[in-house]
Amino acid sequence: MDEFIPLSLQIVLIIIAIFIVLHKKNFTIIILISAFSLVAATLYTLNKAPDVAIAEVAIGSAIIPLIYVISISRQREFIILDKTHTGFIAPDTKLDGIVYELLEKFVKANNLKLNICCDIEGDEFDLTNELNVDLILTIDPITNKYIIKGKESSLLVEKLAVMAEKYDTIEVIELEENDFYD
Amino acid sequence: MIKRLLLVPLLGAILLLFILAMTDLEVIYNNAGRVFFGSNAYLDTGSYNAVTAIYLDYRLFDSLFEAGILLIAVAGIMWISQHKIKEKNASFMLDKFKTPDLFITFSRLLYPIMLTFGIFVIVNGHLSPGGGFQGGAIVATAILILYYIDISKTIDVKLILTIEKVLFILLLLVASLSFLTKDGLLFTNFIPSSAPESKTIFLMILNVLIGIKVALGLVSIFTAFLKEGR
Repeated sequence: MDEFIPLSLQIVLIIIAIFIVLHKKNFTIIILISAFSLVAATLYTLNKAPDVAIAEVAIGSAIIPLIYVISISRQREFIILDKTHTGFIAPDTKLDGIVYELLEKFVKANNLKLNICCDIEGDEFDLTNELNVDLILTIDPITNKYIIKGKESSLLVEKLAVMAEKYDTIEVIELEENDFYD
Repeated sequence: MIKRLLLVPLLGAILLLFILAMTDLEVIYNNAGRVFFGSNAYLDTGSYNAVTAIYLDYRLFDSLFEAGILLIAVAGIMWISQHKIKEKNASFMLDKFKTPDLFITFSRLLYPIMLTFGIFVIVNGHLSPGGGFQGGAIVATAILILYYIDISKTIDVKLILTIEKVLFILLLLVASLSFLTKDGLLFTNFIPSSAPESKTIFLMILNVLIGIKVALGLVSIFTAFLKEGR
């Protein structure tokens, strides 16, 4: 019996490792990673290394999955900066309006999450390059048209421009980008 | 293609050399260290936990660099994630959505228990398994749970990094105090008495310093990830 538990745990460890490599869904992989850490911590305890086991549990199955969850959910966000200040798209109010309809449809089609923000100041070039802002929404004072600006290189912006052709009051502009010489 | 094919015999040769070098297993896997630390660790350092005895007394010089590695990693992450755009009053729509009530309730129940356990592990580093790093990681996890209760909570990352740097310098100073009290002997216990009971103060001071430093470092890494790209 004393031999059986460590042996079976080691086999479980190998099986989990193979599943981590082969699996396709990101969030399932995170759960598997944290299960891997728990099994490894049990093995450390059985091999009389409780110090290492505490560190493994705290870091491997708590902090690293939390960091992964945050980074992966950040990747799915589609961030839009609202500069209109009309309130129709602001976070506190009820969300409606023609632009919101279009964006909601677009985000659903591309399997992303919509995140609208406001009150960030800065140059348009810096906003789209240094921060992760995908689109900047402004309003034309003369013609009352909504203008959406996005990066030229982004494939999503091109798709959005195709979708926006149906709407008369929305215009999509692609910002030009300079090359970086890092 | 040829390069990859050449790699296979190279790796095989390294493996063969490794196996040949591992013939004297009895010389490598003996229990001399276990016998030595089992009989001498408490009398030399005042620590029942032999691991703490090694990393806070016999090999304190190595532990200082280990503490420095985390500081360098945190500073590197801060440097990469910096940008010059003002976002003081920025508000995001997804931040307004609340986490489920069940999760918040459980987090509030769990938070004080985790914090107490982390501090217990830090302070009792010389008596029970654990120590500064492990306890600091547990405290950091407890603080990270707070983000799930209220995601709009902000922490001044630069202040945390400054405190961490000050703590690292303090750690170096405490570790090299033995230069004055023990006739030029660096990086060992600074208490001149030879009784093991009185030596535990040094271990507790170092464990608490390392614990706070690790907790602050992990919290600032997590905050940088949370704020990155916004």
